[in-house]
Amino acid sequence: MNLEPGAALPPVAKQLSLEMFRQGGARTIHNDYEAARQEGLPAPVAVGPQVAALLFKMMRQCFGAGWVVGGRIALTFRRPVYVTERVAAEGRVTRVEPEGGKRRVHCEVWVANAQGERAIVGEASGLVD
Amino acid sequence: MSDQETRRVARDEHGPRATFEEIEIGKDLGALEWTVQLDEIATQIALDDDPHPWFTGDSPFGGTIAPPQLAYRPPRWLLSRNYNVRGLLYKWEFENLLPLRPGMRLTVKGRITDKWIKAEREFVAYEAWGENEAGERVFHTRRVQILDVIKRTVPREGAGVDSGVKKERIA
Repeated sequence: MNLEPGAALPPVAKQLSLEMFRQGGARTIHNDYEAARQEGLPAPVAVGPQVAALLFKMMRQCFGAGWVVGGRIALTFRRPVYVTERVAAEGRVTRVEPEGGKRRVHCEVWVANAQGERAIVGEASGLVD
Repeated sequence: MSDQETRRVARDEHGPRATFEEIEIGKDLGALEWTVQLDEIATQIALDDDPHPWFTGDSPFGGTIAPPQLAYRPPRWLLSRNYNVRGLLYKWEFENLLPLRPGMRLTVKGRITDKWIKAEREFVAYEAWGENEAGERVFHTRRVQILDVIKRTVPREGAGVDSGVKKERIA
């Protein structure tokens, strides 16, 4: 895998559905329209960490053990992701630095919807030999 | 103002929602003991649709490991033990320092680091970390929670349907 500056990370996409956010019988902003409306949301929103998990999967696929130990990420959730959206995690390498006998590969990462709107943005890094 | 923005939820089945004023910068959120369970790992794999063989069999670390993001919920439980808040996650940082393994017993600690108001919304920052039985740090996280999507100028009133999922079990 090319992990030099400018290289694109292989994207990870997923079609969300309300069923993915059922939690027993609990009615939450993630699975119930009335609960969402009461909290100022027009529709149920996906659980943020479950959407961000697409980024974690992408990083693990790219860095393997260097993500599990040594992985770092800093994310901003810019807008809600609704439970019927299709989303994709993407990223690109921004720089590479030596670190403790390995190389730390820094990446710009984001999760975008089908319209290309970036709902989650941030930076992530992993270690490679 | 739309119908959905005429009030902010004041309480739910766990009692009154914590207010911005009640949240204390520097507050120690206490500690909780968390043992990583195989069924929690299975649940995380299903939630994330990521059945990597390291999460069910052997790995380069010797034995099964958990997806690192399994450590998301214990710090949130710590926050919920102290403050009945809902809202949305706004910022999330973490660092994976050691692999999470089934059967690993961790002590998770945290504290409130900041709070602020921006665009009439209330934000609370906290950090948490997990240590194994040897006292080694396994993960460290910093987060910002927005307490309400609705502006703080809208009064709190009435009960909300969403009481959160407070059960301290990844299920």
